[in-house]
Amino acid sequence: MTGQLARHAPVLAVRWRAAATLGATTLVGLAAFLWPFLAQPGSGLAHGSDAPWLFVLLIALLTALVVAELSGGGLDAKTVAVLGVLAAAGGALRVLGGGTAGLEPMFFLLVLAGRVLGRGVGFVLGALAVLVGAFLTGGVGPWAPFQMIAAGWVGFGAGALPRASGRLERVMLAGYGLVAGLLYGVVMNLWFWPFLTSGAPAGAAFVPGDPVAANLSRYAAFYLATSLGWDLPRGVLTAVLVMVAGRPVLASLRRGTRRAAFGTTGQFVAGHGEGG
Amino acid sequence: MTRAHHDPRLPRLLHPAAWWAWAIGLAMAASRTTNPLLLALVVAVVGYVVAARRELGAASPFGAFLRLGLFVIAMRVLFQALLGGGVPGRTVLLTLPEVPLPPGSGGLRLGGSVTLEGVLAAAYDGARLAAVLACIGAANALASPRRLLRYVPATLYEVGTALVVALTYAPQLVEDARRVRAARRLRGHAGRGPRELARLAAPVLDSALERALDLAASMESRGYGRSVHRDARSRRQATTLTLVGLGGVVAGVYGLLDGGSAPLLGLPLLLVGSAAASASLAVGARREPRSRYRPDPWAAPEWVVLASGAVAGGLVLVAAQRGVQDIVVQTSPAVWPTVPWLPVVGLLLGLVPAWLSPLPPLRAVERVGDSRVIHTKGIRSAS
Repeated sequence: MTGQLARHAPVLAVRWRAAATLGATTLVGLAAFLWPFLAQPGSGLAHGSDAPWLFVLLIALLTALVVAELSGGGLDAKTVAVLGVLAAAGGALRVLGGGTAGLEPMFFLLVLAGRVLGRGVGFVLGALAVLVGAFLTGGVGPWAPFQMIAAGWVGFGAGALPRASGRLERVMLAGYGLVAGLLYGVVMNLWFWPFLTSGAPAGAAFVPGDPVAANLSRYAAFYLATSLGWDLPRGVLTAVLVMVAGRPVLASLRRGTRRAAFGTTGQFVAGHGEGG
Repeated sequence: MTRAHHDPRLPRLLHPAAWWAWAIGLAMAASRTTNPLLLALVVAVVGYVVAARRELGAASPFGAFLRLGLFVIAMRVLFQALLGGGVPGRTVLLTLPEVPLPPGSGGLRLGGSVTLEGVLAAAYDGARLAAVLACIGAANALASPRRLLRYVPATLYEVGTALVVALTYAPQLVEDARRVRAARRLRGHAGRGPRELARLAAPVLDSALERALDLAASMESRGYGRSVHRDARSRRQATTLTLVGLGGVVAGVYGLLDGGSAPLLGLPLLLVGSAAASASLAVGARREPRSRYRPDPWAAPEWVVLASGAVAGGLVLVAAQRGVQDIVVQTSPAVWPTVPWLPVVGLLLGLVPAWLSPLPPLRAVERVGDSRVIHTKGIRSAS
């Protein structure tokens, strides 16, 4: 009953302003990631080596805006505390898994928490967990805004999955984790791929102003050569963790949200103990 | 702010935003040139300032950023060598065995001859990115991004609080995980891999959520989460600015991507949109007045550091605009790069903070301590 209730009333409702901001950010984010394929010859970006830097700033600004809008109603103390603690867990997982080849156990937490706490919290949590990981390792670089928005999408998507329960839910989440882990890698390569430009390897580098198909095939070569080996373990690890640990973790997250009773406000009842 | 804050000899922590602005100025300079000598100068300048003004006791990520930069250069050169390049080169360094590929692979090439020109172009390009990374690493080392967190606009206050909570609890969570793991090991479960991680997750997460609720209760009892009164006007203002900003940014990006559109649709629209979006964060912040605990002052040394970064970036930018020779080094045919004087002067001005910014407190204490030790030693040896 309460589990159903938690699903009906999300912790952070995505209202129209937040939805509009998120939509616009997603558009600009897609442009930021995909501009090597989209920029037409002769356009402002086609020759610039500045475009990646421009998008770093733009994505940072828009991520701040989305997070501000999503939390616009004023987060109550419980949401702040739960978000903080989950982001801490995500950041710690990121630091722990940081050294080993592409193994990022953080995604496992993002998928499950996004599922339980809803789209809004999923997005904010993804962005925050990445930032916490960056702060803990002391490395806030130009990649941080891109990672934040990509991890935010992962959490958001987990919250937007259709309703299911039991084993079916876990299989669905595991499948989502696998896909999300792979897509995250595809998208994250794109932000630095254009840096490998200008007099670069003909086979696998971005050539400004080239037709989309040619650039896409080069990107595919680049991806297969460098990145798949990192992304596949990440996706598989997320899926395996969801299958193995999904049940207890989902249960403890649901228990936690039920105990937190988000969205309820205390009320004083009049009429008892009068004149005592 | 007192007058003492203007004195660069008074040891204190510089405003973090000043360090970040300085580093961004130098990063901009680095992103404008492929001259390896200039890039080496950028890295040397930021390295010197980090060595002179980094607070002691904190972990320094500067080395990690430098290593990452070296990795970037190595990757670029390796790719160039393996996959060949678009750079026509005549000086063949060595010839790798070439793997024949089907004709439909879009000009892809594996192996073949490695030319000096191609390797140089790749190395210069990698060095540029490495120098930018070094600047950002310097900013991380000089002013921890955590300190910047205090200056998030009030619209992001709640999320900022969540971030502070996260940073406070993360070490505790690691400690929790270690304890659960030790307990499991004592019971003879010495497992590894995902199954073990799964066993760890539930108890750690349970206690973490428990702690979160305790924290929330204590925050509420201290007055956190009181409702903020917003008047309809400021809310409307913020909404309008947000929407205008978003529209401007989306249209501006479209204008930049689309070759046929009017030039006005591109960058100017993007700038207007970004300005409106930033303003909406600021307008939202104005409706929630919050006080700050012991704010960092912004005094003369901050201005000096900011100006030093801006001048360094600006002079290199000017040189690049004017097409000063060897700011972009030609690679085919390969020539030894010369050193243009204007960018060098600019970059050397980036060194100013190494002398004209205040020493961080712990470093100042250590310096005083050192001189005392030398002093007493001197007295002892004399007596």
